[in-house]
Amino acid sequence: MNSVRFLNLELKNPTVLASGILGLTASSMWRVVEVGGAGAVTTKSFNKDWRSGHKNPSILPFRHGLLNAVGLSNPGIDEMVKEIGKFKQRASAPIFASIFGRTIDEFAEVTQRTVEAEPDLLEVNVSCPNVHSEFGQPFGDSLSDTAKVTEIVKKHAGSIPVSIKLGPHGPGIARLAKVCEENGADAITAINTVGPGMLIDIDVRKPILSNKTGGVSGPAILPIAVKSVYEVYRQVKIPIIGTGGVTQPEDAVQLILAGASLIGIGTAVYYQGIKVFEKIARGIEAYLQKYGFTSLDEIRGLAHE
Amino acid sequence: MSDLMRTYPIKKIVEHGPGVKSFYFERMLDARAGQFVNVWLPGMDEKPYSVSALGENWLEISVKAYGPFSTAMMDLKVGDRLGVRGPFGKSFTYHDRALLIGGGIGIAPLRLLAHELSAKKLSFVSLLGAATKHELIFIEDFQKWSKNCYITTDDGSQGKQGLVTEDLLSIIEKEKIEFIYAAGPEIMFVKVKELIDPLDIPYEFCMERYMKCGIGICGQCVLDDSGVRVCVEGPVFNQDELKEVTELGMVHRDASGRRVKKF
Repeated sequence: MNSVRFLNLELKNPTVLASGILGLTASSMWRVVEVGGAGAVTTKSFNKDWRSGHKNPSILPFRHGLLNAVGLSNPGIDEMVKEIGKFKQRASAPIFASIFGRTIDEFAEVTQRTVEAEPDLLEVNVSCPNVHSEFGQPFGDSLSDTAKVTEIVKKHAGSIPVSIKLGPHGPGIARLAKVCEENGADAITAINTVGPGMLIDIDVRKPILSNKTGGVSGPAILPIAVKSVYEVYRQVKIPIIGTGGVTQPEDAVQLILAGASLIGIGTAVYYQGIKVFEKIARGIEAYLQKYGFTSLDEIRGLAHE
Repeated sequence: MSDLMRTYPIKKIVEHGPGVKSFYFERMLDARAGQFVNVWLPGMDEKPYSVSALGENWLEISVKAYGPFSTAMMDLKVGDRLGVRGPFGKSFTYHDRALLIGGGIGIAPLRLLAHELSAKKLSFVSLLGAATKHELIFIEDFQKWSKNCYITTDDGSQGKQGLVTEDLLSIIEKEKIEFIYAAGPEIMFVKVKELIDPLDIPYEFCMERYMKCGIGICGQCVLDDSGVRVCVEGPVFNQDELKEVTELGMVHRDASGRRVKKF
């Protein structure tokens, strides 16, 4: 009952490993599927050339979530294309490639190269909040930039579906989602990390992250994710990968009621371990049974009626 | 929550020799040998370090100057504050009639293991090697707690000149060893593994990999092909878990995630 269709894909359940978590190698993502029970995986975001990202501390727990400024570290497209290929040979679940670029041209080039590896979906990260000082404002903070990125990625993506990953900032996520849809996006991933935020050590009296600021994830951002998905669902017809703050099945159900088709899970791996995907998938199923629903389609967006 | 970042002043520094020091912090740490803490040097970086000694309300880490971070650690003074969060990872399991093989600064986690084994009245023999005499740390403790303590140095400045692997098989036979623990350079362990795999003696090895988070989410320390995380499923792995690790002694990953061949 839990298996879902999403665009042209078949997933064994609606949980997806969110980008940035355990998505560096084929081995890692394979284990998230085989041991963790994820319905699909998303790679760590990558661009053309390798990047070391920010120095540590780059990922910090606080009482209600995580604060991170990894700084889009990645081994570059050559390595990531190989890892996507290896994953496809070894695992049966779909793999989403998360891509970014510093310029519109780089988005085009990264798309062209990534398509060769035949991922099941391209997730376009225009909303990383942690590279302002280097990249300037994220593309996803501007309607016109978001439109341009969507258009160029779609132009080079061929038959591979494209989801634009948006944050809750900038001109408003519903307006951004509409622009993505108008420019050919097949789906929306909502949301990225929130903020940026900051944590200070009170004894040293300095920000702890080497980047000083970082994106907030985990339980603290669930209400923002639910509201963002709710708004996007009202505005567009394309499906939504709802991501943000999900650590329990009840959180996932909220996102589905708000309008999400798939559920991204990342920070919850820290709280619940790698089997959190299976736990949440089972919990969603139990919810459907409790109320006599027979499929996720019956509850998607129900909070709007 | 011990995962949250907090800084603690250094209470004591022990200099073992040039570029090898132990740092002592007053902080309760519910840890066992093999587990590690993430150490933040404000303005510099954060790195994982094994716990080398532990008391009711204190812990100690031991550092060898190697890269920019550990070299900067050498300039620290008593009273300087460092972030210490953890413990993270899995610890060694306890066995009788064991052999502890330590190489260089890899002796640090075995120091805490030796203490724990001795407190449990389990018998063990130590085989410790380093490049030179001053890198052999905690030797007096190992001599005190071990049934026998064998020492090698590359330059012959203490113990027998040579590598820990040279007399390994004869020591295993003579001491009737039933379990092996190893910590140290991966290249040392690969040679140890070649020698002991045919013997069917169970073992555990404490591994090192570059890490960003230490809490199982960043994916930087994940091993090929098993996909396990050194920070959560490790850093201590047994012979069965290592069977599926194809990168052992071959490659590790840097901060970008690229495979690096050098060890």
